[in-house]
Amino acid sequence: MSKWRVLLNKEILHLFRDTKTILQTVIIPTFITPLLIGAIFWYISSIAQEESIKTYKVSVFGDSKLINTLEESERLNIFTKSSVTDVINDVETEVTDVGLSISSNFDGNLNNKLSGEITIYSKNLDTFSQAKNVIESSIRTYENQIREDRLTELNLDEDFIDPIKVIEEDLTTEEEFAGTFVGAFVAFMFIAYILTGSMYPAIDLGAGEKERGTMETLVSTNISTVEIIIGKMFSITLSAVITAIFSTLGFIIPLILIYLFYADSIPQYAFDVIAAIVNPVAILGIFVLIIPLSIFMGSLLLAISIYAKNTKEASLLMGNIVLVFFAPAYVPLINPGMDLDLVGSLIPCFNLALHTNALISGSVDWFLYACSLGSTVIYCLIAVYITYIMFDDEKVIFRS
Amino acid sequence: MIEAKNLTKIFKVPTEEKSIFGAKKIDSAAVDDLSFSLKKGEVLSLLGPNGCGKTTTLRMLAGMLEPSKGTAFIDEIDVREDKQKIKSKIGFMTNNTSLYDRLNVVETIKFFAELNQIPENIYKPRAEDLFNQLDMKKYLLKRVSDLSTGMKQKTSIVRTLIHDPDLIVLDEPTTGVDVTGQSIILDLIKNIKAKGKTLIFSTHQLGEVKDIADKIVVIKSGKKVFDGDNDSFQKINPNKNFNEIFSELVDE
Repeated sequence: MSKWRVLLNKEILHLFRDTKTILQTVIIPTFITPLLIGAIFWYISSIAQEESIKTYKVSVFGDSKLINTLEESERLNIFTKSSVTDVINDVETEVTDVGLSISSNFDGNLNNKLSGEITIYSKNLDTFSQAKNVIESSIRTYENQIREDRLTELNLDEDFIDPIKVIEEDLTTEEEFAGTFVGAFVAFMFIAYILTGSMYPAIDLGAGEKERGTMETLVSTNISTVEIIIGKMFSITLSAVITAIFSTLGFIIPLILIYLFYADSIPQYAFDVIAAIVNPVAILGIFVLIIPLSIFMGSLLLAISIYAKNTKEASLLMGNIVLVFFAPAYVPLINPGMDLDLVGSLIPCFNLALHTNALISGSVDWFLYACSLGSTVIYCLIAVYITYIMFDDEKVIFRS
Repeated sequence: MIEAKNLTKIFKVPTEEKSIFGAKKIDSAAVDDLSFSLKKGEVLSLLGPNGCGKTTTLRMLAGMLEPSKGTAFIDEIDVREDKQKIKSKIGFMTNNTSLYDRLNVVETIKFFAELNQIPENIYKPRAEDLFNQLDMKKYLLKRVSDLSTGMKQKTSIVRTLIHDPDLIVLDEPTTGVDVTGQSIILDLIKNIKAKGKTLIFSTHQLGEVKDIADKIVVIKSGKKVFDGDNDSFQKINPNKNFNEIFSELVDE
């Protein structure tokens, strides 16, 4: 057996006998993260559900028949105020959810076929709150009634003031929807798992070995620097890939369980979206990109770890690198619908996020995919070379 | 077997003086112009106070550190030229136990044997022989993390010897081992010597030296202050014992 394989076998045995490795690579991605994500979704949907039936408090200043319309709404609780200041104060101190100020001659203006003015006061921080929408909807209903009355009076049809009818049809497929809104998130999670799956082994096999003194023992044997790097790098990559596989299972298993036990209560559209994500071509395409990315991250983390004097310094240095990897993956997450171009295809993590979108939505540009794969392989080689320089430098190996 | 010629190792060490990039560094010789030789089958003891350059010297001989000046030859191979060949001829034991905590004794030995490309039919009987000599049979399936310091030291010795190296380099082999353990290790060193192996070891315990070493090299602040055999060491001052002579040599 070649020496790097002997080292690889030893590293795997040594790594996976550590409960921290098992926890990081298997337990957390397979069980803890899906549970956590499930709990977050459940919490968010329960808030949204609560908001959809909630009754909102509204402070109103002014006199108008509109108030009667607002009072008819079951979801609005109206409190009449004597001044605009009171309305603003109520909203600012969150005594009421929304405030309304109706202009002094509101009804008179409407009767004279003019416009009436209403000011809505609200705090737009609670993104789940439907208070403003409910108010606006009631006002819109009242406005439509007045418009209809005016047109009847003039004996005009609605088409007279609405000459163009725009009909919108959303042709977004389930795959495109899944790709745009879920793809970047899936890629972000993969990057997070590769990093967490690589970090602990990299620290253990680099700075950890220096700290324990086993690095000196290893370099005293007749294994070459290249063989040491191959053995260690493959162990780290294997750990990262195992983490990625288990994190994929962590996503897929709950979906299968939902399909098996709750199929009747899930709409068809949601199933189509899930089917687009759990698509063999997409999963394979993502994994082909993930493997060189894992090697790239793993060897870079190993280079940092071997440079560090101890595990504490290694953790500190790696914290900064993690941010460097996360930032480009975060951009597509907050900008759904972003398109990948040639420059973007060369940026690690950013390209994975957008290719994941495209692979799920079935619109992948294979030229850009090849550019991303090729560039990641080149980054890999550079990272491996940096690791080689680190391992070959006695000042680094014996730095303590 | 070993020919060290003007072996020198210079390190950058920080000074009190600060610059915007941190403490200023100056060149400092950890090993300074050290020359000695050792024939095949001889045992050399490298003596000196803490931080005098013993470990650095041994690391240069083992091809782990590059000499700044001078060189050393192991079996006429320059340590600067073919490090892999040098390492294959040497069994190097570091000055701490330095083993993989999560492997047991057998797995540790198997790993180092396979790393040295020793076939199973050769390393297994060799390991068994060493386990018997070092009285380790009861501990073979215990993980290194569960072993006592003495047992870890013995495991380190077995892994150092498992590929039957021509030259054995032991950096303070009895450090942290109890009296019984020390005597077992010293017996093993005598055994190795009896088999005609070349051995170089560094130590603080001078009692070990008198019985085992054919040659003694004493270094102080990286420089050689004595190079000779047991008799010539004693002749420095016949009225004093080994410890007293050593203290005189290193001004302790």
